[in-house]
Amino acid sequence: MKRTLTAMALVLAATAATADSNGEKIVVEFGYPYSHLFDVTYEAILPKFYEAHPNIEIKMRATYESYEDGTNTILREAVAGTLPDVTMQGLNRQAILVEKGIAKSLEPFIAAEEDFAKDGYHQAMLDLGTFDDAVYGLPFSISLPVGYYNMEVMAKAGYDETNLPTTWEEVVQACVKLRDAGVDNPMFWGWNITGNWFLQALMWSQDKPTVMGNDFQLDSEEGLKALNTMQSIFSGCEMQNLEWKAALASFSAGDLGMMYWSTSAVGAVERAMGDFTLVTNEYPGITASGPMGLPAGGNSALLTSTSDDPEQLAAAWAWLKFITSGEGAADVARTTGYMPPNQAANEIILADFYADNPAKATAVRQLPLLREWQAYPGDNGLAATQVIYDGLEGIVTGEFEDMTELQEELSDEVQDLLD
Amino acid sequence: MSDVIQQDTPATTFRFNTRAALTHAVLIVGALIVLLPFYTMISLSLKAPHEIMQQTGGFMGSQQPFRDDFCVKLGNAVEDCLVNPIIYNYTTAFEKAPLLRYLLNGVIVTVSIFVIQVFVALPCAYALAKLRFWGREAVFALVLFCLLIPVHAIALPLYIMLAKLGLTNTYAALVIPWTISVFGIFLMRQFFMTVPDDLIDAARMDGMTEYGIIWRVMLPTAIPALMAFGIFSIVAHWNDYFWPRIVITGNRDLFTPPLGLREFKGDADGDNFGPMMATACIIVTPLIVCFLLAQRRFIEGITLSGMK
Repeated sequence: MKRTLTAMALVLAATAATADSNGEKIVVEFGYPYSHLFDVTYEAILPKFYEAHPNIEIKMRATYESYEDGTNTILREAVAGTLPDVTMQGLNRQAILVEKGIAKSLEPFIAAEEDFAKDGYHQAMLDLGTFDDAVYGLPFSISLPVGYYNMEVMAKAGYDETNLPTTWEEVVQACVKLRDAGVDNPMFWGWNITGNWFLQALMWSQDKPTVMGNDFQLDSEEGLKALNTMQSIFSGCEMQNLEWKAALASFSAGDLGMMYWSTSAVGAVERAMGDFTLVTNEYPGITASGPMGLPAGGNSALLTSTSDDPEQLAAAWAWLKFITSGEGAADVARTTGYMPPNQAANEIILADFYADNPAKATAVRQLPLLREWQAYPGDNGLAATQVIYDGLEGIVTGEFEDMTELQEELSDEVQDLLD
Repeated sequence: MSDVIQQDTPATTFRFNTRAALTHAVLIVGALIVLLPFYTMISLSLKAPHEIMQQTGGFMGSQQPFRDDFCVKLGNAVEDCLVNPIIYNYTTAFEKAPLLRYLLNGVIVTVSIFVIQVFVALPCAYALAKLRFWGREAVFALVLFCLLIPVHAIALPLYIMLAKLGLTNTYAALVIPWTISVFGIFLMRQFFMTVPDDLIDAARMDGMTEYGIIWRVMLPTAIPALMAFGIFSIVAHWNDYFWPRIVITGNRDLFTPPLGLREFKGDADGDNFGPMMATACIIVTPLIVCFLLAQRRFIEGITLSGMK
């Protein structure tokens, strides 16, 4: 058995060696999630990339079906030693790959670039992929929470584009008016988006992180405020407990007047919606001055190559850089509801595009609010996410009525998981 | 269905039987519950995205051409991107997820698994049923014990073993873990127990070797049991989503049909249900055709293996 294995290894090594010496093209292996959303983006980017880098070939791997699947796959491949050169990971799932040493620091490559800032990589964007003062990930597609409005439904209660609600209190008032005007189901609020995104949105709205180090921050004043705000939205609007698909379907069918969701779904809603006018507007704030920060969703490019060959690494970096800057980044906005976090791409290349696609421009206006989508540290991160999810669902269903009690309960339980 | 019609037509020999009527009513409700997802699957595979999301258009949808946004985004003119829902759903299923390739993979994988399973299970079952040797009962107990282990419990060690051998992302990874089916061994052993010893003794007297007996005497008698086992094996591995998803991470060309479904997933950003359901329809079609062709065998098989 041992002999056959050695023989197999020799054969493999030999084929690998011949491939190296014959192949003029350097093959960069690349994995990404959600092929339904992003295939079209890469189809648009690839010809441009090949034109700029004719000696590199991008080999698309089997796509990940979700961010969680993407992280699982990379963790498995790290064990098997079959990691791709570049992988796309959910913004809140980068930390674990950095902790385990699977993702490589990008600092040496950035140091070698002459005009890195000029290429549009600004600080807030780099912060999303920075761990221990070193950049590991470059965000590729970014989403922020926005408000979706069905203007025909909103008109029934006297709303138009100039007076859409800007605080959650006004949202609740709008719900009451819409109900009076005969709209059964006036609003949906995306509490169930993965990673407790909307809880983090309410926390960042008050400029408060959800976790600091290992400390869960829900036991603060801001935490209670976030929970109370949620409760007032849910009960004031008598919001139904819909799952993702049902919520998107209701909005597309024109039943809902308002939906608070990720900007990334704009494309899907435009494809699926009935005959009504869709307007997106800034995410409301807890106070009249609007949110002070919002969590970024989306994915980020990480270098996971195990190669020592400088040429291979340079090729991987070339691809990573191409898709996160310039024309490559611009194609993200052109083909999806996401936006590139790249300043140059947004402000120069895409200026006309956003004028023509106002529904996608809302998130760009919110870019200065961009904050981290926080992961719960440690091995129980996913369990913590689920505990919070269950708590939030309890608010929607009315199971929890006393928010102080819920705050205490969630804080204790989650803190136990994080310690 | 025919029974219901019969009950409406007066016949001289017919007597209303409350019990039978009740049984049929329950069965009809059960059948509806089972068929409803199929109805939805077929219906969604025929409709345009906006009809699916707004739940309009009945079973077929209006079949009005709609704009394929992905085509527009790639820079084509809007007029060139108007597509008919049925054609769009099914061509997308075949093009975006190269379904023919996946179907071929599915056939290669399920057939290899079944053939190897038979090669392993028949001799094992024969030995356990008809040969006397030291430790036979212990071996059989081990077989029964293995029946209790869920595959998910050993998935990780299996994956690591395959990874160490460098076999992930190959057909081998899809086939090897399933080649020894303890269920198959158990099923065939139970069947062989019912084969009279005289038959085997006669074969031995005619000078057949033990392997000769297995392949030329036992195999032909075991065809019904093999059919039953084949149905379980093929259905399970054709539909398996879990294992291929674990071991195939590199090369999309090795996907089995169910993995084709994931190409249309978008979660919070909206799934592409039309082509997804078209893919699902295409995946189940071979199984349904097989079922219709071998309906009697199928039912025989279920009753045979139904632990009588």
